[in-house]
Amino acid sequence: MVLAKEILNPEGMVLCGAGTALTPALIERLIGMDIVDVTVEGHPVILEGEKTLQEELHEIDVRFQRVEDIAPLMYLKKRIQAKLAAARNTEAAAK
Amino acid sequence: MDEQKRAQFKKVLREIKNLPTLPGIVAKLGKMAEDPDTTTEQMGRVISKDHILASKLLKLVNSAFYGFPQRISSLNSAIILLGFNVIKSLIISASIFEVMEAQDVELWEHSLGCAVVCNVLARHLGVKDPEEISTAGLIHDIGKVAIKMELPREYEKITELSQEKKISRLEAEREILGLDHSEVGSWLAKSWNLPNKLVEPIACHHDPHLAKEEQQASAIVHFANIMIRGLGYGHAGDIWVPPLNNKAWKLLALAPADIDPLLREVEEKLWDVKGFSLDIQTGQEGAA
Ligand SMILES: [Fe+2]
Ligand SMILES: [Fe+2]
Repeated sequence: MVLAKEILNPEGMVLCGAGTALTPALIERLIGMDIVDVTVEGHPVILEGEKTLQEELHEIDVRFQRVEDIAPLMYLKKRIQAKLAAARNTEAAAK
Repeated sequence: MDEQKRAQFKKVLREIKNLPTLPGIVAKLGKMAEDPDTTTEQMGRVISKDHILASKLLKLVNSAFYGFPQRISSLNSAIILLGFNVIKSLIISASIFEVMEAQDVELWEHSLGCAVVCNVLARHLGVKDPEEISTAGLIHDIGKVAIKMELPREYEKITELSQEKKISRLEAEREILGLDHSEVGSWLAKSWNLPNKLVEPIACHHDPHLAKEEQQASAIVHFANIMIRGLGYGHAGDIWVPPLNNKAWKLLALAPADIDPLLREVEEKLWDVKGFSLDIQTGQEGAA
């Protein structure tokens, strides 16, 4: 896994830059520094109960159901769906 | 709609007994800000007398939600950097945060998300005080909180009606109360003596064409509310993305090519504010 965002300590100093690969040794060190969460690229872990891409795309359709005659909002919907699908694809490719 | 009933609801909501009044410090700072002789140090001293408020203020200033590039560690530098107006709106946010966080977590998330989108849009459009627009986004649905607290029975009825008839919460409010949360929110904001820059966007976030002075701010909050609902972040009472006002859309003048970068920025910031709480006694600051 690769860091999508830098890790900061509580003082705001950068500990690791974005793009750093998370090795077991680095993870050990971060745990030692009480770093509890980091942001990684893609979508590497499927959490239990998480929706499938199809389900999520469908939910977006439902949310936009009332505004199907408003062109800019249909474009917004398309972009939100495209972004979601792209994020899920990087995750599939990473496996 | 029964006129008498409407008048009665209006009276209850206007009196609002259950919502806290804004801390006296807001009025005091407002007066100080009007006096050209007030110094930053004087203002800093007044704020720092209230320790909890001062630490909340710094926490808010440094959160991703306002998006300042550098870490601000003292009250004085916050005042110099941000100016009196922004500080005042931050104090108002900090106080209102408290009510909302405790009342309705999902609405709270929706509001926080809307504030983030407001900030991204305001910066993209080059608005002068983006923090004020964020604040407007944060409290745009405060009228919903007031209805829930003051008229709990009607609040339930509104929920039922909206589900049963599959209409938006806004329409259900109008049907049951003869008024809606944007109107209620604007009374509340006026009673707190908030500036028109906050009052109008609250009053007009569903009908931005009605804004008289703060058209741009109202249009931003209007579209931010749509975007955050489109992203499905938080929950604001019903699931549907509300309609886009044509006039507001023209005023924003966003190009299709703007949408992707805006979405990317919004998602990044939303990730940063996730779980953000102002509860400084129990809340831990995220380490990463
Ligand atoms: Fe609303
Ligand atoms: Fe809303």
